[in-house]
Amino acid sequence: MNEGDVELRNLTYRLFVELGRAPTVDDTAVAISSTPDDVWAGWERLHSGHALVLQAGTREIRMANPFSAVPTAYRVFADNRWWFANCAWDAFGIGAALHTDSRIEASCADCGEPMRIEVRNEEPDDDSLLFHCLVPAIRWWDDIVFT
Amino acid sequence: MNLFRSEEHITNWLGTRNAGTTIPVTKLGELAHAWWGDRIDPNWQPRTRAQNQAILNDLGLTDPFWSLSEAVGSPTKLRPSRSP
Repeated sequence: MNEGDVELRNLTYRLFVELGRAPTVDDTAVAISSTPDDVWAGWERLHSGHALVLQAGTREIRMANPFSAVPTAYRVFADNRWWFANCAWDAFGIGAALHTDSRIEASCADCGEPMRIEVRNEEPDDDSLLFHCLVPAIRWWDDIVFT
Repeated sequence: MNLFRSEEHITNWLGTRNAGTTIPVTKLGELAHAWWGDRIDPNWQPRTRAQNQAILNDLGLTDPFWSLSEAVGSPTKLRPSRSP
C-alpha cells in the first residue's frame, strides 16, 4: 500500500464519517480532485490490501471496518448518528473509532432476544454477554463477509 | 462474530459445527478499542501483521486461534477454546 493509496483510504474513511454513509466513487473523486476511474482503481488496491471491502459486482464499498455500508443486525448509535457495524466486534469498534460512548442494539445470535448495550468509557454496561468467533484469525480474510 | 446470552446459547447455535473461541463481552470491548481506535485518525497508517498480533497478545489472546501467522497457529491443530 503506497502513500497515495493510504491517502485515498484516509480520505474515504473521513468521508464515510462526515456523510454518515459510504462515499461513492463520484463523492470521493470530487473530494480528492481525481477521476472516478482512478478512485475505483485505488479502492481495488485497498480491497486487495484488506484496507476496505468492495461490494462484488458493483462500484460500491461494502465495508470500511468497523463501519458497514449495508444494513446489518448490529446497529450502533454514536456521535449523534446511527451506524451499521459488520459484526459484534465492529459494533464495539464504531464507538472506539469515533472516540465516543455508544449504544449497541443487536440480538442473541441463537435465540434472537434483543440486546441493548451501553458502552461508557470503553466499558459495556452488561458484562454477562459472550462473544463467539467461529473463524480462526488466520482465516478471517478468506471470506471476510462470512467472518 | 456474534453475541450470545450464555454458553448454552452458543452451544445451541453451533449445533454440529466445531466451536471457534469465546470471550466475555468486556474483553471484546477492550479488543475493539485497541484494534479500531485509530481507524479514522487522519494520519492512519496500515499496521503490520506483527503489530496486529501484538495487540491480541497484549490482551491475553494468545491461544492459537488468535494467531495471524500460519506458522504459529495451524488451524488443523485448533481445538475449541475459551480465551481469557
